Amino acid sequence: MGTRTEVLVIGGGSTGCGVVRDLARRGVDVTLVEKGNLTNGTTGRMHGLLHSGGRYAVSDQASARECIEENRVLRDIAGHCVEETGGLFVKRPEDSEEYFQEKLQGCRDCDIPAEVLTGEEARAREPYLAHDVEKAIAVPDAAVDPFRLCVANAVDAENHGARIETHAEVTDLLVESGEIVGATVRHASGKGPREHGTPGEEEEIYADHVVNAAGAWAGRIGDFAGLDVAVRPSKGVMTVMNTRQVDTVVNRCRPKGDADIIVPHETACILGTTDEEVGDPEDYPEEEWEVDLVIDTLSELVPILQEARTIRSFWGVRPLYEPPGTGTQDPTDITRDYFTLDHAERDDVPGMTSIVGGKLTTYRMMAESITDHVCEKLGVSATCDTADVPLPGSEREGDIEAAMERFGLRSPVARRSADRLGSRTEDVLASCDPNPVVCSCEGVTRAEVRDAIEQAGTDLNAVRLRTRASMGNCQGGRCAHRMAAELHPEHDEESARAALDELRAERWKGQRHALWGEQLSQAMLNHALHGATLNEDGDPARTGASVEWDAFDDGAGADAEDAQGGSTAGGDAEGAHGD
Amino acid sequence: MSDAESPNDEFEPIEVFPENETPDLRPGADDCYKCSTCDTNCPVAEVDDDFPGPKFQGPEQWRLKRKEDTSVDDSISKCSNCMRCDSACPSDVPLSQMHNTARAEYVEEELSKTSLTYWRNRILANYRTSAFFASKVPRIANAAMNFGPARWAMDRVFGITSEREFPAFATETFREWWEREGGADGSRERARAARERRGEDADAEKKVAYFHGCYANYNTPEVGKAMVRVFEHFGYELVVPEQRCSGTPMFANGMLDDAERHAEVNVSSMGDLIEQGYDAIASCTSCSMALRQEYPELFDIEGIDELAENTWEALEYLRVQEDLSGELSAATVEDENLAQLAYHAPCHARNQGLDGQALELFADLAGVDAADVGDSCSGISGTYGWKSEKYDTSMKIGEEMFDHMEDVEGEVGMTECPTCAMQMEHGTGYEIRHPLEIVESALVS
Repeated sequence: MGTRTEVLVIGGGSTGCGVVRDLARRGVDVTLVEKGNLTNGTTGRMHGLLHSGGRYAVSDQASARECIEENRVLRDIAGHCVEETGGLFVKRPEDSEEYFQEKLQGCRDCDIPAEVLTGEEARAREPYLAHDVEKAIAVPDAAVDPFRLCVANAVDAENHGARIETHAEVTDLLVESGEIVGATVRHASGKGPREHGTPGEEEEIYADHVVNAAGAWAGRIGDFAGLDVAVRPSKGVMTVMNTRQVDTVVNRCRPKGDADIIVPHETACILGTTDEEVGDPEDYPEEEWEVDLVIDTLSELVPILQEARTIRSFWGVRPLYEPPGTGTQDPTDITRDYFTLDHAERDDVPGMTSIVGGKLTTYRMMAESITDHVCEKLGVSATCDTADVPLPGSEREGDIEAAMERFGLRSPVARRSADRLGSRTEDVLASCDPNPVVCSCEGVTRAEVRDAIEQAGTDLNAVRLRTRASMGNCQGGRCAHRMAAELHPEHDEESARAALDELRAERWKGQRHALWGEQLSQAMLNHALHGATLNEDGDPARTGASVEWDAFDDGAGADAEDAQGGSTAGGDAEGAHGD
Repeated sequence: MSDAESPNDEFEPIEVFPENETPDLRPGADDCYKCSTCDTNCPVAEVDDDFPGPKFQGPEQWRLKRKEDTSVDDSISKCSNCMRCDSACPSDVPLSQMHNTARAEYVEEELSKTSLTYWRNRILANYRTSAFFASKVPRIANAAMNFGPARWAMDRVFGITSEREFPAFATETFREWWEREGGADGSRERARAARERRGEDADAEKKVAYFHGCYANYNTPEVGKAMVRVFEHFGYELVVPEQRCSGTPMFANGMLDDAERHAEVNVSSMGDLIEQGYDAIASCTSCSMALRQEYPELFDIEGIDELAENTWEALEYLRVQEDLSGELSAATVEDENLAQLAYHAPCHARNQGLDGQALELFADLAGVDAADVGDSCSGISGTYGWKSEKYDTSMKIGEEMFDHMEDVEGEVGMTECPTCAMQMEHGTGYEIRHPLEIVESALVS
C-alpha cells in the first residue's frame, strides 16, 4: 500500500520549495508535503528583507559573503519577487562611530558595495528619517516577497513533474529495519488543491530518501524516529504599517538589538523585530510590549512612525540551530548559518537528511547543497541550474503598458498587477473579461484572484498569499466576501462560506494587535458592515432559520407572475461588484 | 500606545522636499477606512460609471503609488474639483489636497505640453489673462467671443463647447469704477460718515481688504459694487489691493505652477494688509476657499497661514461682526424682481459651512422669498463644464438643480459662485443674482 516517490520533502517553506524545485529540475521524482499553506511556518512570517549581507558584515562574514552572492542571483532569477529598494545602515548620535567604521570595512571586506552618505544625503533619499541621523551606509539590500518566491519555486517544480501537497501534515515517519522509508501524511481535505468539505484522508508515502526541511518544526519530525534535532525556536514580532514611510530598507547601525529594521514591502512597511527563545514553535505568547517596543524604538530613526497607522502585527519563529554542546545563552548570539544533518552518519539512521538554520536570502544555495547531497546518495549526476534559470514569472518584466492599454486597468492597478505577475501578466489578465478590481486596497483584479484559485483551490488564504488581496488597510473588510464569491460556481456555497470564515479568522488574528487609532475605526466599520450590510450575525443561510419570503415586495414594476420565481432566488446576492 | 518619549517633536517632513517635487501624501491614506462616503457624495461618480471616484483618486491611488515610478491615472482629469469629498469624509482624509497634487503630477508628467488639450486647459485656467485683454475692448470681445463660426471652430479644434454662451465683459471693470469712486480715500470718508450715522465711534478700526477675484472685476462689477456699498453701510473702510487669480481654475486643471505664481502676488499684497490689521474678504466662495484651504495645503509662502486664518466670505464676516440678520429682518426689498429667488449653494460654499447662510439671512427679510433648490452640485465646476468632452457630464449633474429651479416661482436665481451662476442661467434661462446684491437692495438705497 501507499505511494512511491524517489524523494519526499517535508516542509513548504523557502528551503523545502527550493529543494523540490532543484530536485525536480535534476529529473528526480519528488513529492513535497506541507501541513499548512506554502510558507505557513517561518518563511511567511518574516519581514521580507533580501539581505545584501550588510547585517552580517561584522559578526559573520562568511554569511555576509553568501548573502551578497545570492542577493545577486535572486535579482536575476526571481525579478518578480524582488523590489530593488536599496538599504541604509543609519547612525544616530548615540550609536558608536567605531562600529560604523567596522560595518563599512566589513562590507568592503565582503565585496558588498557600500557608500557613505551624510545625514542630508540620507534624508534626501528618505525624507522621513530623523533630522539628527548623522550619516548612513548605503548597501544593496532589497525587499523580497517570500510567498511569491515559494509559489514560483513550487510551480516550476510541478512543471518538472513534482507533486506538491499542501494541508498535508506528516503524522509519523515510516521506519523499517532501522531505516526511514517514508512518512504517513494526513490530508486535511483530500489530495490535490484544497477543497473545503472534502473529508480528510491518510496516505503513506514511501521514498528512497526523506528531506526534513520543516524548519522550526524539524525537531518534531525527528522525534517520530527518535532523532534529536535540537532546533531552538526563537520568536520575533513584525508590525505592519499601513503605508510606506520609507522606500529604502532602513537598518540601525549598531551591533545587535531589538527593533532595528524597517523594510518597505509592497504597499506597506514592516517593522522588526525581537528575538526571544520559546519552547513550542506553535504556542507562545504574543505580547503587546513587543509591538510597542518596535514602534517606539524605530521611531528614533523615523519619527513619523509614532503617529502612523499600524494595520497588524505577526510573530514568526526562527529555526535557530546550533550543534550540540555549543550552549549559547542569548538567542541573538546563535549563528544564522545552516546545517545539514545526515542522520545516517550522525545517528546511524539512514534514509533521512535534516536541514536546519539558515535564512531566506540564501535559501537557493542551501537547497543546492542539500540537493547535491541527496543526488549523491541516489546516484543522480545531473547538475544544478537553479542559479541560472529564471523562476516562472521572472522570465521577463511584467508589461504595464499592456495591462493599461489592452486590459484597461488603471495605472496603479496595472503597475501592481504587472509587478506581481511578472511575465505571466498578459496571460492572466487576458483570462477574464470584464475584469473588475476585487481588492481595491492592493489593486487586485478578478483575473488574478481566479488564477490563484485555480492553483490553490478553495483556500482563500493561499489566494491571499499569491495575490495580496485582503492584505491592505481594510484587512479584507471590503473584499473577503468578494474573493469568496469568485469560488463560485466551480466550488459550492458551503465551501465558499467555510473558506471565507477561515480567511476572516486569519485576518483578525493579526489585527488584534493593532486595535487603536485608525485601525480600531477600521475594525469597527468592518464589524458593522459584516454584521449589518452582509447580515453575518444572523444570516438564515448560516443559521438555518426560515425566511418569510412573502414579507418582501416584488420591487418596482415587477409582474405578478415573476414574483414567485424572483423571491426564492435569495442566497447569492453579494456579487463581486460591491462598490 | 506607549509612553516612551517621541524624540523629534520638531520634525516637519514636508520641508525637506526639494522645491517642485510632488509632496509625499501617502501618510494621508492612513486616515481612510474605506467607508466610501466620499464616493457616494461625488457628483461626477453619480453620473459617470467610468469615473472611479474620490476614494480611488485620493487615498487608494496614493497608497498604491510608489515614490516616482507609478504614473497618475488619467481618470484624475475627470474630477471636477468640487471638493464635496472633503466635507463628506468622516475621517479627515486630505482628499482634495491629494487630488490637486495628483492632478498637477499628471499634467506635469503625462500630458504633452504640445497637445491642444494642455493649451486649452491652460488658457481656460488662465481666464484672468484672457479677461484682462478682453476688458480693454469689451464690446468687440463680446461680439467676437460669441461669433458662431468662431465658436464652432473652438469646439471642434480646441474642445471648448459651443453649447454655452461666453459671459459678457463689463464695459467698465470693477477696479475702474472703484478708482472713479475715489478708491481707498473715498471709502474711508464714506465709512466714517456711515459710522457717525450709525452712532458708532467715528475712529473705530473697521478695515477690510476686498479680494474681488476675476469675475466680479471683469464680468459682474455689480457684485463688487454691492460688496463695497454693503460694507461701507456697516462702517467698514475698504481697500482693494493688487491681486491675481485666486488659483481655483488652475488647481482644477493641474496647473500648480501658474497657481503658485498668482498666489505669491496675492499672499504678498493681502498679507501686508493682514499684518496691518485688515481682514481679507471675498465675495466669491471659490476664491475664499482657495485662500483659506488650498493655499496652505499646496504652497509654502511666507504669510500664507496668516492670510488663510484671516480670510472670510463677505456675508459670513458681517454675520459675525454685525447684527446683519437683525437689520435685514427690519428691512424690506422693494424690487419686485427679487421677490422669488431660487437659491443654489455652491459646493465650495458648502465646504466652508456657508450653505445655509443666505437662506437663514433672508428668512425674515420682507419682500424676498428665497427657496433652496437642493444640495446637488450645479455641475459646471468652473472650467470643467466648458470643456467639450465634459459638457454632457456637467449638464447631467446639473439636471437635478435645473428641475428644482423650475419648481420655484419667478425666474430669478441666487448663488455666491460666478460659474454656478453661469450654469444656472444656461440650464434655465433665469437671471442670477448674488446674495450681496439682495442685501444691497434691502439696506442701501
